[in-house]
Amino acid sequence: MLLKSIKLFNFRQFKGEQEASFSTDIHKNVTVIMGDNGSGKTSFAQAFTWCLYGDTDFADKSMLNKEIENNLMPRQQVSVKVNLDLTHNDIEYNISRAQIYSRDDYGKIKPLSTSFNISYKKNGQQEFVKQSEVESRIKEILPKELSKYFFFDGERIQNFSKQIQRGKSKEFAQAVRGLLGLNAFIEAMEHLKPTSKFGVIGSYNDSYDSSSDDKIREYSNKIQKYQDDLDSIDQRLLQINDSIQIADEKCAELSNKINLHSEGERLQNEKKSLNQKIGKLIMARNQAEGSLLKVFNNNPTAYFAKSLIKQALDTLSNQDIRDKGIPDIHERTIKYLIDRGICVCGTKITFGNDAYVELNKALEYLPPKSIGTIISQFVNESEIRLKTSGFLYEQISDQYKIIRDFESDIDESRTDLSEIDKKLTDVVDVAPYQIDLHKYKDKIAELDREKRDLYQKRGAYLTSRDRLITDRSELTLRDEKNRKIEVYKAYAQYMYDELYALYQESEDKIRKKLENYINEIFRSIYEGGISLKIDSEYNIQILVEDTDGHVFDVEASTAQSLSVIFAFITGIIKIARENNNSIDDDSRMLESEPYPLVMDAPLSSFDKTRIRTICDTLPKIAEQIIIFIKDTDGEIAEEHLGQVVGKRYFFDKKNEFDTIIMQR
Amino acid sequence: MFDKEYVFSGKHADMVKKLTAQFGTDTNSKIFSRNIDVYIVAPIIGFLYGRKSSIDNTSDQTTKIFTEQLIKETTTLKYNYQLIMLLNKKQLPFEERLDKAFRNYGNKENTDDEETYNEFVLGGVEILYEKIIEEANMSEDFLQNIYDFTEEFNNRFNGSITTDEILDLCMLAKK
Repeated sequence: MLLKSIKLFNFRQFKGEQEASFSTDIHKNVTVIMGDNGSGKTSFAQAFTWCLYGDTDFADKSMLNKEIENNLMPRQQVSVKVNLDLTHNDIEYNISRAQIYSRDDYGKIKPLSTSFNISYKKNGQQEFVKQSEVESRIKEILPKELSKYFFFDGERIQNFSKQIQRGKSKEFAQAVRGLLGLNAFIEAMEHLKPTSKFGVIGSYNDSYDSSSDDKIREYSNKIQKYQDDLDSIDQRLLQINDSIQIADEKCAELSNKINLHSEGERLQNEKKSLNQKIGKLIMARNQAEGSLLKVFNNNPTAYFAKSLIKQALDTLSNQDIRDKGIPDIHERTIKYLIDRGICVCGTKITFGNDAYVELNKALEYLPPKSIGTIISQFVNESEIRLKTSGFLYEQISDQYKIIRDFESDIDESRTDLSEIDKKLTDVVDVAPYQIDLHKYKDKIAELDREKRDLYQKRGAYLTSRDRLITDRSELTLRDEKNRKIEVYKAYAQYMYDELYALYQESEDKIRKKLENYINEIFRSIYEGGISLKIDSEYNIQILVEDTDGHVFDVEASTAQSLSVIFAFITGIIKIARENNNSIDDDSRMLESEPYPLVMDAPLSSFDKTRIRTICDTLPKIAEQIIIFIKDTDGEIAEEHLGQVVGKRYFFDKKNEFDTIIMQR
Repeated sequence: MFDKEYVFSGKHADMVKKLTAQFGTDTNSKIFSRNIDVYIVAPIIGFLYGRKSSIDNTSDQTTKIFTEQLIKETTTLKYNYQLIMLLNKKQLPFEERLDKAFRNYGNKENTDDEETYNEFVLGGVEILYEKIIEEANMSEDFLQNIYDFTEEFNNRFNGSITTDEILDLCMLAKK
């Protein structure tokens, strides 16, 4: 495929009509487009993609030039168009896409209708491809999966390196195979495919149906059903593997995150135990407080009265208490005498007489009313009180100190707690990650189970199917006509097997070749013990060889990723070109056509030496190169590419909304 | 004495209520557990600090001590009373003080002595309130105040006295 020219109408920064034509000269096959950042190089590259597929990588899906948009009146309509002229398979195509925009009554810009047309020149006339076929035609010209590698947006390297290293999909591998020229094989095999009803062998099986033997037909149906089931099982298995892979990646990612933040878990645990500690401390403190209050309330009198008691006792022991009592005489004695009516001395005691009065007075000073007795009682009291609560101050003091100690422990713990809280605000809670991790692990286990079940089923179906096939063969061999069909089938099967073997061989060879080319190209750009391997699905592995000859997998740096992709594409292009130009019959079996390389500023990631190497290698590899560079890279590119440049343009940025494509 | 209901009124009622109020989360977080606990200690405090106060009628507030409680604590209350009477107004001759403390105890005609005692009670309530509650804001401070008060009291009154000394005196006095 060769690009001839492109016309833009109001496409993003390119106001009005702008066009550029590309160099198709064999020797001067490079077109250089220079422009500063923001002048529209990426937009220009996206114009190709939008024209061919109606899709871009931009977040803003409106392609309409902003200045035109602002000046649009309500109900007014304007269209955005991109026209692409190219040749493919010796046919000159014109591909045009248009999108009409209008401002509605509310002032909003709305996209209206789109039109997409492919036309080609035939016998001097312009013919249009039928609308129902445009999609497949585009796929034939350049499948979308591969377009990213030929309209090369070097700035978005990260995604690409992942894609390359972990194979996008079956479609990608298919597309690559197509480019490598294996399509003819694939189609032939598809045509013969033994397991499909629409293949050659399948249709032979169908012709069993026209035989009168119902049993055979029945077998055929059952066999087909098993085949269908087997096909869907295989498909599901592929899906499961994909899902498992994705889930594995997620698990690795989450485990990483959890490890990074395991600190947070530790802090949480610390926080919990601190809270517990604080709780216990508070309880202990309250208990101590209770004890203190109990001491304070438990008969504090003796303590507070200590000094008074001392004074009282002092006084009592110093004073000479004249006991007016009479030794050894008790109240009982007096009462007895009064009752008797006669005193010890013989005096008569009658109610109210002198003796009576005196005796009664004496009662005041005799036990149990004697002051001596009372004072003894008092002293005993004092003794008792002192013994039971003389230490109130010491006890309160001790308890108080204990309380204060607890309180300072509590404060300290609280400070620690707020320190932890401060640290925690920086740390991410890992709990949700762990929940997710569990979910994914469960999912993987589930998928594994399903896989095992499916394998079992698959085995069973295979056995049943094969048994039925054998049975049917036996039946059909009896029939003469059917016998012939069996023979035809055998031939077809043989052809298929041969083709398949040849295909495998060719694919292997070509893949090895591709691998070699890629390594060659890669090494010329990037020296250093790095090599690349390609597996059967066209996933690329980057291997590093250390000084001991050990080889291991690595994550690529930006420059390395770029180099890998670059090497990959140029490898594919090289092979495609070879196939086209080859006189070798074998290679001719591989049909493919060369593709141009439209590269958007990849040089910014390389150093000077690499740029030179790239500039040397490129033109020799691709049929046509269209390269976008920054002003700052311009001089070097000119220095190394100057002789092979056929056309030069630069993007003149008038303002944010207006860039003009100027030829230099 | 000490055989009928006792009523705190006016500002003293308010003070006693605050001294017996719960200040923490625990129901036992009270400076004094009951009114009677205040009543027992107050006269000693009032006497030592030399503060007397008369009944206050400026507000309607009242708080009581029931007869049963007073009767239960008679021994202590009597002892405190005797102690105070024994040591009150040193210019009174010893004989008279002995009489007031021991002989005249329980005499219905003793209204003067009873009044003196009650004035010490109210004075003591005021001291306790001032020292423990007035300076405090939060319950921590109540504890601090109780401690400070006990410490101050210890230094001022009990500092140099050991229990043994007193017990020896007891021996002496018994002879």
